[in-house]
Amino acid sequence: MLGRKRSAEDFAEEIKAHLELEADELKRDGLDDEEARWKARRTFGNVRLAQERFYLKDRWAALDKTLRDLRFAFRSLRQSPGFTLTAVLTLALGMGANTAVFSVMNAVLLRSLPVFEPNRLVFVQTSNPPMGTGTVDSNLTFSYPVYDALRSQNRGLSPVIAYVPLSGNKVAVRYGAQPEEAEGDMVSGTFFSGLGVNLPLGRGFSSQDETDHAPVAVLSYNYWTRRFARDPGVLGKTLYVNGVPITIIGISAEGFEGVEGGSSTDFWIPLQNRRELNAWGNPPEDGKLYIDNPKWWCLRLIARLDPGVSRTQALAQLQPLFQSAAYIGLGSPMQGETPPVLGLSDQKNSYGTDQKFTRPLHILMAMVGLVLLIALTNVVMLLMARNATRQREFSLRLALGAGRGALLRLLFMESFLLVTAGGLLAWGFAVAATRILGQWAQIETSLAPDRTVLLFTLAALAIAALLFGLAPLRVALAGKAELALKTSAATSNSDAGKSRTGRIIVTLQLAMCVVLLVGGGLLIRTMRNLENVPLGMDVNGLVAFGVKPDIPSIPEGYAIYANLLGKLRALPGVESVTIMEERIGSWWSDNSDMRVDGRLPDVANGASRTVRSNVVSSDFFRTLGVPILSGREFADSDNVNSPHVGIINEEFARRFLPNTNPLGHSIGTDDGRYTMTIIGVVKDHKYRSIDEEPIPMAWYDYAQIPNVGGMNVEIRVHGDPLAILPAARKVVQQIDPNLPLIKPMTQRDQFDSTIAQQILFARLAGCFGILAIALVATGLYGTLAYRVSMRTAEIGVRMAVGARREQVVWMILKDSLLLTTAGVVMGIPLAMLVGNALAASLYGVKPLDAVSYLLAVLGVALVALAASAVPAGRAASVDPLTALRTE
Amino acid sequence: MTTQETNDDRIALLQGTLDLLILKTLALGSCHGQGVARLIQRQSEEVFFVDHGSLYLALQRLEDKKWISAKWGVSENNRKARFYTLTSKGRDQLAEKTGEWRRLARAMALILDNSMVPRTEEA
Repeated sequence: MLGRKRSAEDFAEEIKAHLELEADELKRDGLDDEEARWKARRTFGNVRLAQERFYLKDRWAALDKTLRDLRFAFRSLRQSPGFTLTAVLTLALGMGANTAVFSVMNAVLLRSLPVFEPNRLVFVQTSNPPMGTGTVDSNLTFSYPVYDALRSQNRGLSPVIAYVPLSGNKVAVRYGAQPEEAEGDMVSGTFFSGLGVNLPLGRGFSSQDETDHAPVAVLSYNYWTRRFARDPGVLGKTLYVNGVPITIIGISAEGFEGVEGGSSTDFWIPLQNRRELNAWGNPPEDGKLYIDNPKWWCLRLIARLDPGVSRTQALAQLQPLFQSAAYIGLGSPMQGETPPVLGLSDQKNSYGTDQKFTRPLHILMAMVGLVLLIALTNVVMLLMARNATRQREFSLRLALGAGRGALLRLLFMESFLLVTAGGLLAWGFAVAATRILGQWAQIETSLAPDRTVLLFTLAALAIAALLFGLAPLRVALAGKAELALKTSAATSNSDAGKSRTGRIIVTLQLAMCVVLLVGGGLLIRTMRNLENVPLGMDVNGLVAFGVKPDIPSIPEGYAIYANLLGKLRALPGVESVTIMEERIGSWWSDNSDMRVDGRLPDVANGASRTVRSNVVSSDFFRTLGVPILSGREFADSDNVNSPHVGIINEEFARRFLPNTNPLGHSIGTDDGRYTMTIIGVVKDHKYRSIDEEPIPMAWYDYAQIPNVGGMNVEIRVHGDPLAILPAARKVVQQIDPNLPLIKPMTQRDQFDSTIAQQILFARLAGCFGILAIALVATGLYGTLAYRVSMRTAEIGVRMAVGARREQVVWMILKDSLLLTTAGVVMGIPLAMLVGNALAASLYGVKPLDAVSYLLAVLGVALVALAASAVPAGRAASVDPLTALRTE
Repeated sequence: MTTQETNDDRIALLQGTLDLLILKTLALGSCHGQGVARLIQRQSEEVFFVDHGSLYLALQRLEDKKWISAKWGVSENNRKARFYTLTSKGRDQLAEKTGEWRRLARAMALILDNSMVPRTEEA
């Protein structure tokens, strides 16, 4: 149809032809060849300029037209600022919430590691560890001999990379004078090269570094920025890690913060072989470090599949090798023992294994999806209402000669402007929200939206723009030029079908709102329950921090802590002080079976024998405020030369020493190498987290067991617990100037951190519920107000023929009550489905919690009523005479 | 736009009039750009000065509007040239624009002739 655009070359050709024709003619008039050419050229004027203008003509025209459309759309939106503001804000909130939650999901669950060919990376797993071993995670950690066997094979995985934290939380470092804390990992020499992580500065590790246990470190880009202000001069400087001098040799690539999602590593050093730098910061066990101890499965392994080798193939090759390596140094498997089975998991799922983030994030994503749906339908309804009232404007434009194309362009330009403004606002909102979310959820990885998130948002916006452009299409196309001649607002806008669509949309929105409110209600009640769980102790006035002094020998270790306790107890304002190996309320605990009176206790068919134990000092229960039910607690007089003593909780007595006085019975480790006499029974209280159930617990006295390592100090003070920290820091540094206080915080905060996830989850769900209800309220208000304004004439007639004001008000209210009832009836079964999906995340609330449902329904009804109050009032105040006269 | 300084009494074309002149010229038969320029100049008794660059852009504009069509051909003296022909749509436009122009010219003439008489208050 439309012939191809004429090329600039063709145009130039035409000008050339013109010049020749002109010259020919001039020659005929008597000029000579040279002169004719020159004159032809001169009369033509600027050839170059003409060509330029030809080239720009179309482009200018298109740009000019677009700009004109944009300006027009902008003016038309500015004429109804209320509509524009509502639409843009609605869109920004709905889209922003989605972008924020999606970027968290993307960062934690979806994003691949910033490494070379991440799809070939796998995390090594085991079904279970062999019996008689200690683990950090029973599925994810391995012994050094297993690592050694796997990395020396040549059967589908190369390289196999080990990494292990230097501490369960943070490790003491010193750069210059002041000791501080940081997160550090020991890694294989192949760590950076095997993962394919670049080092913009300095170098990574080599296999030789691993063999030599070289004292060198690579800093993460983030740590380098945060602590060293990106000073390239740090290369070659010394960082003291647990007092050991380590030379900084490199900075890792920006964005690489370790291989596990949700955490961030500050520095890496090659696998070491010295007491101060044992895996997880543990003291040597029987004088053995992790590297010589086949019974301690503490290393995490990540590996790269050889090109073209699938996970199944690699597993088939490696299984026998793994199963024999698992028993190196352990002897042969016991009778009836299930052999460990090797597994390889996708690197993206490393964090999804414990379901800690996966479920809540999926549910949140679904919730914000609903919010977005409500927001989008709201804007569509607003647009439809607005364009319906503009029908006369459209008709007039058509009558005055505007093409339908021009009308459509206007509508699309308007929706484009709305979506652009909403999208920009949403992006800003999401960037701010993710920053706050990261802090609340204590996720250390950067959650900032990246390119994937941008694509997601753009896709959602494109759908919105299309939707917004298409919604008014019908209205615009229906506008006929003749309509402009109908002067009555009542006749030109009476279209029953459109308002039916509006009613269906409002009903659906109300149903979605019920779902969101029920979900939010269940989660908020969960949060309340968790916050009010009795801990079994008095955490007010308690502050805890970690210390990890260098302990050359066990007797010296006892002495260091006795000295520390003495000095801290002497500080003014301190009521009592104790130390513990595992910090309570931090998710950490020592779990093992224990002998009772010389043998493992009998348990009913397959029940767990697990006891959570801790190693503590004197004054432990007094400091915490845990009541002692019988006997006594540890005293300073209990020491390595006095008889070994232990303490148990009620649950331990109930489970393993029923119907007898537990005092005087003996308990001990499962291998029978350490036994102690029970001297006290304490009331059940929380150990690892707020939401744990009572479980048997036992306590050892640190001054009696043959093992001393890093400890956590707990201090009870009068007044503000954190105010004691400067004084405590001074005391600790008198003992060793290299020692920082590790993760100092109040015990209340420490326990709260174990429900931070649930609290965040509940708060967000609550926010989304409120957002949804606000959106539904504006939607409902908009629809009703629009309907009332359309019916002004009708209401006028009704009142003129004798309808009372109450009847008019009731007519409007009845309408919205009907919609609400329909919405609630549809919403409740949906909410029940959602409640069931949430069941795993609830605490102390049933998925069919009547209160939550009642509140949700009540909330929706109230909002519907409030939204209809203004239009109903307006309807009642219609003056019949004015209403009729305006026609 | 190019208000070339000329020492003779030729005048630059009014905005919009060039289109009409081109249509009129082509109504006599198809012609190439150079011919159109010559014809306009000659028929206006050399009063109009036609900027050639503008002329070719105007031809292109009319072609885009489908008022004229164009084809490469050979001129009477065997030169390659692009020939323009009036379309039926162009013929309609010519009639319409001619009418418009006549009305405009008449109105202008009326006003210009009358304004010589000064207005007096309370005649």
